[in-house]
Formats: sequence, C-alpha cells, structure tokens
Amino acid sequence: MRLPPSPEERIDRSRTVTFFFEGEPIEAYAGDTIGSALFAAGRRVFSRSFKYHRPRGLLCCSGHCPNCLMQVDGAPSVRVCTAPVREGTRVRSQNVLGSLDRDLLAVVDKVGGPFTPVGFYYRTMIRPRRAWPYYERFLRRVAGLGTIDKHARRSSRFDTEHRRAEVLVIGGGPSGLDAARAAARDGRRVVLVDEGLALDAQLPREDGFETIAPARAIGIYEGGLVPVDAGDVLLRFRAERVVVASGAIEQPLLFPGNDLVGVLLPSAVRRLTRLWSLRPGERAVVITADDRGLAAAEDLRRAGTSVARVVDLRTTQPAQMAARGSHGRVRSVSVDGDSVDCDVLVMSGGSQPAYSLLAQAGARVEYDGTRGIFVPRDLPPHVEAVGSAAGEGARGAAAVPAASYRGTESGGRCFVCICEDVTDKDVKRAIAEGFDSIELAKRYTTVTMGPCQGRLCHLPSIRLYARETRAEEATIGTTTARPPWAPVRLGLLAGRGHEPAKRTSLHHRHKELGAQMMWTGEWRRPHSYGDVAAEVRAVHEGVGVIDVSTLGKLLVSGPDAVSFLERLYPNRFGDLKPGRIRYAVLGTDAGRIMDDGTIGRLSERDFYVTTTSTGAETVLAWFEWWNAVWGYDVSVDNVTGALAALNVAGPRSRALLARLTELDVSPDGFGYLDAREARVAGVPCLLLRIGFVGELGYELHFPSPYAEYLWDTLLERGADAGIRPFGLEPQRILRLEKAHVIVGQDTDSESNALDANMSWLVKFDKDDFVGKWALEHVRERGPRERLVGFEMANGTVPPEGGQIVVDGLPAGRVTSARWSDAVGKAIGLAWVPPALADEDSRIEIRVDGRLEPALVRLRPFFDPDDERLRA
Amino acid sequence: MSRDFLAVELAPADGFEPRWRSPLERALRDAPPGIRDLSRTGKLHVHGDVGAPPGVEVVRVAPDRALVLCAAADVERVRGELGERVVDMSAALAGLEVRGERLMRRLADLDLDALPAAGAVAHVPATVLRDGDAFRIFFPQEYADHVGAVVLDAAAGLA
Ligand code: FES
Repeated sequence: MRLPPSPEERIDRSRTVTFFFEGEPIEAYAGDTIGSALFAAGRRVFSRSFKYHRPRGLLCCSGHCPNCLMQVDGAPSVRVCTAPVREGTRVRSQNVLGSLDRDLLAVVDKVGGPFTPVGFYYRTMIRPRRAWPYYERFLRRVAGLGTIDKHARRSSRFDTEHRRAEVLVIGGGPSGLDAARAAARDGRRVVLVDEGLALDAQLPREDGFETIAPARAIGIYEGGLVPVDAGDVLLRFRAERVVVASGAIEQPLLFPGNDLVGVLLPSAVRRLTRLWSLRPGERAVVITADDRGLAAAEDLRRAGTSVARVVDLRTTQPAQMAARGSHGRVRSVSVDGDSVDCDVLVMSGGSQPAYSLLAQAGARVEYDGTRGIFVPRDLPPHVEAVGSAAGEGARGAAAVPAASYRGTESGGRCFVCICEDVTDKDVKRAIAEGFDSIELAKRYTTVTMGPCQGRLCHLPSIRLYARETRAEEATIGTTTARPPWAPVRLGLLAGRGHEPAKRTSLHHRHKELGAQMMWTGEWRRPHSYGDVAAEVRAVHEGVGVIDVSTLGKLLVSGPDAVSFLERLYPNRFGDLKPGRIRYAVLGTDAGRIMDDGTIGRLSERDFYVTTTSTGAETVLAWFEWWNAVWGYDVSVDNVTGALAALNVAGPRSRALLARLTELDVSPDGFGYLDAREARVAGVPCLLLRIGFVGELGYELHFPSPYAEYLWDTLLERGADAGIRPFGLEPQRILRLEKAHVIVGQDTDSESNALDANMSWLVKFDKDDFVGKWALEHVRERGPRERLVGFEMANGTVPPEGGQIVVDGLPAGRVTSARWSDAVGKAIGLAWVPPALADEDSRIEIRVDGRLEPALVRLRPFFDPDDERLRA
Repeated sequence: MSRDFLAVELAPADGFEPRWRSPLERALRDAPPGIRDLSRTGKLHVHGDVGAPPGVEVVRVAPDRALVLCAAADVERVRGELGERVVDMSAALAGLEVRGERLMRRLADLDLDALPAAGAVAHVPATVLRDGDAFRIFFPQEYADHVGAVVLDAAAGLA
C-alpha cells in the first residue's frame, strides 16, 4: 500500500520489477529496495535475532543495523533495506528454522534465558571434549548469519583496481561535497566516494572532481591506503590526504522491548515515508532526545500515521519506560505507568559521529561529556574529518534520564546490542563477574562485534558500563576500531584467482610430453614423464635430458670479483683457473648452510654462479647486501631467466653432443669440471661439465628464447641413442645413488657445512669469510650430528623425516630415501649421532611403528670412485 | 670468454637454423587488439652512469643501474657503445604493451602519472613505461604465462 505520489519519492510507478521472496513473486517499483518492496507487500518481520531468534524488523533503513540481513541470490547477509530490486532476484531469510514468522528456534527466547547467559559458549558445551564437533554443528545451525553455498558457481567476477588521488573524500553529504569542491578549487586531484545510501538526494555529478557511488570505504590503512568496496570492484586508493565525511549515526535508546518489530529510528521513518511513499503504521509514539525524533513525528503525520504521544527527553524525565508487544511486534508503550497503544515506536537517542575510520587511521577518540558523544581528536597529519563525523552538530543522549536505562526490572528484555543479542542484564552480569575493562568486556559479551560493528551499540554499552561501574564514560574509553568498517564479501578481497608461477621456456614442451608438473617454490617443474624407472635407466645406460632452467644464475664481474666471492664463500676461488668450475656452499654469518651451486670462472674477472632453484632471489639479495657493505668493485647480474639450461647426462651424452657442436668434447679436450663456450646446434652455449646425477654429463646454458629449438633438436638427434627426458623424481634417485646432498632437503636452517661432511669446502686458512667465526666454533666443539648415507637391510623404504632410533630413543632423522634399481637396495641419507657416523654402523629406523635395521654408508652407493662421472 | 651465450639475435650457423620463440607467444595467442608482445625488444642492464646513445631509451631502475631499451637489431652496437658494465638482458625480460589507464590500474599499484617506474605488475616485479594511452611492461620472462593470463583476464573484465 503506497501513499499518493509525491515529488520527493524515488520510485518510478510506471515501471515494475518482480523478484522472489521465499519462492513467492513480489512486485516492486523501479527505485525500490528489496526492503522497501517487502515492507510495501506487508512484511514486517525481516530477520530472526542471532541468539534468541526474536523477530526483528526494519530499524534504521540505512544499512547500519543487523535487522534486515537476508540471502540474496545465494549471497548471505545482504542488507535488503539498501539493496536495489532487480528483476528475478531470489531472496530468502536466514538463520531460521521454519519461516521468518514461525521460527521454531524462537523457543530459545522462551526457555533459553537461564541456559544461554552471556559467555555461555565459553563455559557450557565444552565437555566432554569429544562431543565438541556435534555441539559446534548444532550451534552453527541455530546461530549465525546465513549459509554459504559451497557448491555455487561464482556468480560474478571481482576485480581489483589501484587508484591514486591527491585528496580522497569519504562521504558525499553536504560537508563531504564542500570539502571536495574546495580541494578541487585548489587544483587538487580529488575523488569522492559515497556509500550511495544517502538516497535522500541524488549525488550531483560535478566538474572538478570524480564521484564514485555506491562505494564504501572499508578501512584506512597505513600510508593512506583506503580500500573501497565498489560492488564488484575493490578500489585500492592511495591518497595523499583523506577527508572523512562519514557523518553521524542515529542511536537507539535502552528500555525493555527496544528490539520489538515496529520500533524505528528516525531515519527509517524518513526513508519509508519520503523515498518509498510508505506508511510505517497506524498509530505512533515518539521518544526522542533530539530534533530528529520531532522531525520523524512530522513525517509520520504527513504519511497519515496518527502520533499518539511525543516524549521529549530534553524536557521530561520519565522514571520508567517500556514497550510491550505480542508476537514480537510492538503493541503499546508505557511511560511512567501511562500506557499508550501503538504499532510504531520511534526512538531517538541522539547521534554519534561515525569516527571508526578516523580511529583506524590513528585518531584518538574522546568522550565529550557535555554532548554525550565520542568525538575524534588528534588526527594524523594526512587525515581530516569534516561535518558530523568530526562531531559538528552531533548530540548524544546526555539528557537521557537514568530511568530509560532501568531495564529488565520492568519486564521484557532490554537490548544493548541487537546484533549479538546482548541485554543490559548480560552487561551487568559481566561486570559482576569482574570484566571491568571495556576491552575484556567486549570480548566476553561480544558487544560491538556483530554486523553493525558498534554503530548502534558502542555508545549505549559504554554509557551503561559507566553507569553500572559508577565511572565516567571518559575514563572507560573505547574499544579498538579495526577494519573492515563495513562487511565486505570475501570474493572481493580475494580478487581474481591468479597465482604467480614461474615457468621455464620448456614448460609447454613438458606438458606436451605428458609430464606431471609439481611445485618447487614458485616454479612449476616436471615430476616425471610417466615412467620414473625408465627415465633413471636412460641416464645410466644411454642418455637423458632434464630441464634445469630453474637454477639460479648470477654473473659476478669486476676487478674485485675474486675477493668478493672468497669473502662470501668458505671455499677458495683465487686459484680457480678460467674455464674451470668448483662446487660451492654458501653459508650464513652463523655458519649455517644457506644455498649451494657451482661457480665457474669465465675469465680473470668474470664468474658464473649457479644457485638452487628456489634460492636465486635470496642469494642475489645476499650478494647485493654484502657488496654494498664491503664496497667492492663488483657487479652482480641475475641472468636466471635470460638463460635456459639443460643437463644432458648419460654414457652416450658425449657422442650426442659431438654431433651438434664443433667443440672438442673428448675427455682430454673437455674434462670433468671444465667450462666452455661454444655453439651447440647453432645456439651459443655455456657448457659446464658437472654431474649432479652421477653420470657423464653436460649442462648447457643458453638464451632462453631458443630453449624449445634446442630441446627439439636434442631429442631428434638423440633419438637413435634412446634419449629420454627425465623429471625431478628420477633426478632425485640418481643423485641419491651418488649421495649428493640437496640443500633444504637434506639440510635445514640449522645445518652447517662441517656436520654435513663438507669440511673439504671450508678453508679455515683464508683471511676471513662470512660465518668463519661460527664454523671455527663448530670445529672446536666437534660435530653434534653427522649427515651419512644408509642402506636398508631388507629393502623397506623408510619415510622421509623418519626417526633414527638408538636404544629406544630418537637419535636422528631420515632426510631422503628411495629405492634404487641400480644399487638394488633401499638407500637414503640421514642425520645420526657422531658415534654412529662410521662405515657399517648399525642403525634402526622407525617405519610404520616397527624398527627396521640399516647400515651406515659413508661413500656413494653407485660408482663410488666417480669413474663414470669423470669418464 | 665473451658472454656470447647471452646473445639473442642469431644468424644461422653450421647448418643449423635456431628458431627464436617469444615467452608470450602462447599466452597472447587470443589477445584482443591493443595488447602486443614486445619481448623481442633489445634490453640491456647497465651499471653506473649511462650516457644515452642515439635511438635508445634509458630507464633508471635503481640508483646505480639502468635498463636500456633499443631495437633488437641494434643490441650489439649499443652494447659496444655503452662500455664494459653492460649485460644483455634481452632474453631475461618479456615485454608487452597494453592500452588504457583503466586496464593498467587493474594490473599495477603504480602512480601512472609518474612513469617510467619499477614496481609490481600482476604481482611480479616489472618496469613500466608510458606513451600516452599505451603502457609498456617489462618483466622476468619466467612469469610470461602468468602475466599474459592476468592481462587477458583483466582486459576481459573491462570488455
Ligand atoms: S534496517 Fe536494514 S540495516 Fe537497518
């Protein structure tokens, strides 16, 4: 039922929109919100309360309270009073069993009182512990804020946009507009964002600044970062100056029955009557502490609601007030024993500046005793508050008489916090239990922690607190304001589902060959191409090729390159001849192993350093840091992505290479640990003769744009030699057969080079190097544990991380273990007590609860004298 | 040794014809107009002060380091002119051009009025240059598939 058309109304009566509520079609006008259309259709109960399942109706019509939350097209907790109607939208109630009007869970309101006191969830239902999952499921069912449809397809896409502004104005009310205009006149780049809920007036689109609406600032973070929820786009604003014009929020009054359906704040009256031409009810009572209530009385009269009584708390101080209802709806109000029938009760406890964003930005919030409100003070330099957000014109309920807080004695519940169903009794009880700091009481009672985020309960709860503890509001203070200031959809925060991944130039070739890909750090790498054993065999018997482009690659050059590397690494490089390579382990200043790789000398002053796949960035940063500290004349360049790298390994790798290059690849011409530059299949390569996988092999490093070409050429020309690509898993088996260590797998952040059997890499006679002092200390105290090889007596492969057990006690751990066809045994690496670090020592390893015997091995399991590797 | 193994522009040799392939080739296969692959641009890292030879662009990416951009065919010449402390990074960086501020704002948290600058694009480190409505983005090529997918997706979101 609508009132006669008015020029002010926002509905277009010539256009109707149909949506569905609980499956039933509802007809609305264009310009309606879901809330106004449901109200027009006669609906008064919009939700059931969080704990007691009490019926709740429109309260603020401004998007501040929890009373109109519904599921809209699958999205839970949408405030329908501000959600525009759209054709075909499906709307459902939430947190009910049955229907909104007959919610079976309302029984909690009848019997629950004694069983669900404040903080009950901290005390009851926690024993027996076993039963918690059931309790949890039960609680989730009866309390909460809608359900997420886990199977729903993404209904919309969410994007993130980065924006800049010299001045960002939050709020498009009169003060916000003034601020925006003034800044624009000063020649600033100004953007104004408005929630678009100030439906009273259409925001003017003005020259000189940009207006974005509906858009809601959800927080102010460090550095002037302001995320703005603009529907399906999250705008991440960085602003030099932020002007907060977020206005003030109308406050409720505390009296028994203050949550009944039909109890309205003045804004609800204004919007229902003016924007949507709706009559809020037949007979109204107004209780107000400010002029807003009086204006609401006017609006009501104009809408044809008779106003039976207006109580102005500034002039009368009633000793008792209470609302009574039936079926959750207000039926009468009694003031000092004088009862008046009504179906609408307007309450206005004044207005409180919406200071939360300011407080997040670092403002202090102070109680102004004369006006009875909290006001923001000491704003940080780049933040400004204007209008009622700054406290202008706002006025609280300082004049509200004590009687209005005299709660439950006069029957019925008096709600301090409607989001969380916290009554005055609950707050008093919390105080009696000793929660006398407001921060603790907040956590205990959960006041201010619901969907309204303190908009309607912060001020009343603190005032009640002050009264009950006989303290001044000012000394009680406020609770910490944290983002988000408004509920925000997780999808919007998550944005698009792209995860940065590094892929080598051969990624698509691997996929074409059916490789199973796996993550190693940020990299995607082939685990294998389907037949691990065959891939291992190819490397042992013929030739295999593995993509090692992920290796970190650094060029270190300059006159001081030798000094620089010698000071960084425990190893020596001054005596490394150009064209030669050395294995190197990088340590921290505490002597711990940080990374490993090879260092090849390209010329007197040029070195080529490889790092682990996941260590490149860390090592680069480490190099740059020390270079800056020491001030050497050295430059470091990260050429990881510039170069692809292939390891061609196996007894036939030499013959294959000879077909593709003019380089002398004979054992004398190109020996183990030599580095050469030459063209391979026409592509300029740096060739390193090293052998992580233990067979004769060459690493080819070359410009990445030619990776597919060279890969294809190798596979083609090696086909008759049985060439096979191999993945990480075969590589791990091959290197384990040689007892080659993988840093990060066989070592951890505590391991040092001495304990890891790499003392041959540590040159204590050098002047100084990073970690020298710490390693000298380790040498003096002797090893605490040693990294050794082991082979299982009976072929069981123990789990990585498995326990080494000595005399029934854990004494070490397995770091790597695999079955090796070539060795014919289950082999691995493990940390063991030094006393057991001898060839043939017997150890026991826990496998599935059993102890399995194993023997310690100090030499490689396969080709212990490196004859094949050096062939 | 010469560091020839970093050179990208190759002539056929020894009977082989090496084929260059852009890291973005696959990712941009279905790219809408306005998104272009610039991966073949010549890119050099120079340490210390840089004088700009004719026909090149110099972007200072750190106090002591610059990215020099030139035509692929000119890399050899420019490398010679820039002196010793130069590394050919042509293969290390992929490059693409996008059009429109709005698209760029969905890709990067950068002040678009203060370009060129270094910063994150699609969450990976990048250098961005601006020519009117066009933005050139250079980033580590190993992220090419990722950045290509993000750019196409963002463009689709605005279409
Ligand atoms: S009635 Fe919708 S938020 Fe208050």
